[in-house]
Amino acid sequence: MADEKKFLADIQSDDANVRFDAWRRAGEESATAIAQLGKLAASTNPGVAKAALEAITTMTHAVGKDPASAKRPAVVKGLLEIAGAGYALPVRVHALRMLSGIAGEESVPAIAAQIASAELREEVIYCLEQIPGRAPIQAMLTAYNNVRDEFKPRILAALGHRRAAEAVELCAEAMRSPNKEVALAAMKAFARIGLKPAAEPRFPDTAQLSDWEKTEHTDSLLRYADSQAGSPEALRIYRTALERPEEHVQCAAVIGLAKIGTPEAAAAIVPKLKSTNRTVRLTAQQAWKAIAG
Amino acid sequence: MKHTRRRFVKNTATAASAGAYLFDIVPARALGLQGEPPPSDVLNIGHIGIGGRGRRFLRPEADMTKRITAHTNLGGDGSRIMRPARSMALCDVDSGRLDQAATLVGGRPRLYKDFRRLLEDKEVDAVYIASPDHWHALQTIMACQAGKDVYVEKPACNTIEEGRAMVKAAERYGRVVQVGSQGRSQPGAWQAGNYIRAGRLGTVRKVTCWHYASPDGDWTPDAEAPPSLDYEMWVGPARWIPYNPKRTHGAFRWMIDFGGGQIRDRGAHVMSIANWIMDCDHKGPVSIRATGEPPKDGMYNSAVTMEVSYEFKNPDWTLVWAQPGVPSTTLDARYGAVYWGDNGNLTVTLGDGDRTFTDQKAKDFAAECDCGKIFRSPGHSENFEDCIRTREKPIMHMEAAHRVASLCILGNIGFQLQRGLDWDPVNERFRNDEEANRLLSRPGRGPWHL
Repeated sequence: MADEKKFLADIQSDDANVRFDAWRRAGEESATAIAQLGKLAASTNPGVAKAALEAITTMTHAVGKDPASAKRPAVVKGLLEIAGAGYALPVRVHALRMLSGIAGEESVPAIAAQIASAELREEVIYCLEQIPGRAPIQAMLTAYNNVRDEFKPRILAALGHRRAAEAVELCAEAMRSPNKEVALAAMKAFARIGLKPAAEPRFPDTAQLSDWEKTEHTDSLLRYADSQAGSPEALRIYRTALERPEEHVQCAAVIGLAKIGTPEAAAAIVPKLKSTNRTVRLTAQQAWKAIAG
Repeated sequence: MKHTRRRFVKNTATAASAGAYLFDIVPARALGLQGEPPPSDVLNIGHIGIGGRGRRFLRPEADMTKRITAHTNLGGDGSRIMRPARSMALCDVDSGRLDQAATLVGGRPRLYKDFRRLLEDKEVDAVYIASPDHWHALQTIMACQAGKDVYVEKPACNTIEEGRAMVKAAERYGRVVQVGSQGRSQPGAWQAGNYIRAGRLGTVRKVTCWHYASPDGDWTPDAEAPPSLDYEMWVGPARWIPYNPKRTHGAFRWMIDFGGGQIRDRGAHVMSIANWIMDCDHKGPVSIRATGEPPKDGMYNSAVTMEVSYEFKNPDWTLVWAQPGVPSTTLDARYGAVYWGDNGNLTVTLGDGDRTFTDQKAKDFAAECDCGKIFRSPGHSENFEDCIRTREKPIMHMEAAHRVASLCILGNIGFQLQRGLDWDPVNERFRNDEEANRLLSRPGRGPWHL
């Protein structure tokens, strides 16, 4: 305890060198100091606030390598405490960032509970996105049903980033949402997950989309085809893309077909060897060389 | 069923609607460039980020009809005549910078504050991206989705996941992506590479970089962003922090989440040349050992001093990034690298800015012999423009740039965690370090996601 007192006193020292030495040795200190560090991290003295935040960071990294580290539960507990309502917002945000690096599935309920906070929800999703395992995905799926539409796209992006197989049906359904933002976010997540849903997927109608949204629509179709490589659906998407006027979409189709590499896919590329568009023609030639060996 | 070449050709011939598509009757003209009319001579360029660095790429309207050479800052020896190009679209989140760039360019460039509007512009052939580092990945990926060829400033990316996503985007759309580590295109780097690849140093087992330390920073109070700056867009996918003039525009460099310090700035130049000369554009280290000190006070958090040692296998060699490190004894420069071989050593300095220098012995050797083992770029922008025409990969293609950025990122992760790291360069994961693996990606913010 005497050591902890000295450590916390050093963190508050007027001398930047003393503060620095204290935060650099914080990994050796007891995790019971985290709560007090959380208070100091909100100090109006920026040097003290920095030292306290850096000490929390050092403590976190000291237990980060090994999930079985004896000290890790205590550090996680300390971080969960300072992520709570009794602490200043920047400190809570920092705690969530640290938790994103070391928290396990057992901490997910406590973290996910904070999603109701408008100020913190972005950080909560960031944190859940980084925690391995199924529990954070389930937490995000549950949160999706409880948040307002304006935040649903952020949750869908997280599920897409995680390639969460559990979210395929949700995304397939949300692609038909009357809310365009939700439908487009679901489309992007669906394409990144890249799994076939139970029913035929129906991408959003392009009629109401802006130019950029149409670009994202095409990108999602191509990503989905990439992940379905070799399937009849992928072949159909690429063949349709070959007929599009945009040069780069034709190129993407050629490259996708070349990756499939079957005689049927190769045959679809052949007309592009004579394309009047130079870039498409050169891309087709390179693809042809790659698949013909 | 295994696809043999014979079976493949036979089946394809059957599948194609007409035999006219067989190899032997495709006119040579259709497979090559002979007899082709040249593509449009004028390249229509869009610029995303036109502050300090971005202005270097502007192509004024008044120069359209002139025979101009590339600025040496873009690589090359500045002797080649550039392909005619016009800066037809400009984008910056700071309207003050946008106005200044428009004045520099002249004519009537199209002006945008949202880069997506520029990417929608179908008349833009290629984009130069010189936004802050935390935007490089997303803007490059989105430019590929929009069908643009891309020249993006270094470092390519801020996370390993971003770099791999950029590689995939360039591949998916068949886009030419050149990353702005222009040292590779400068004559000094080629002379050094030519000397080393010819075996003049024997086997090179170590490359030691040196670079001066980073600034400590001070305490400047946060403030309201100026009305000319769309600060929300400036932060974009990165972690939100309040506006501070000492962290924005050029000063973002000293924050780990935004710029990553000297190792991600100049490291992306000096180590780019090292990776190129050592033929490691598709490889990575197997271990990283980093030490160093962050600022003791002040608002920055990237390393002031650091030493990172990277071990490569097959062939075995060591790369050391050091701030300040040990400067060369043969050439005077603020930063560079010494290549240590069995038969001596060779210095290569700088790697960015206007010039890359090497020792006289490499220059003398280059005057007599081109060993033919290392590509001689006509200049970084020229090479980019060549590749737009040929659809070949440029000298600093996306995979190479990702591997160089990976060195910078891995060094910073080792520095942040203050422990040794073992790296699997094939699967791009750390061995036995869960926390380090979580730092390989960084979820986006708001609507900005990979």
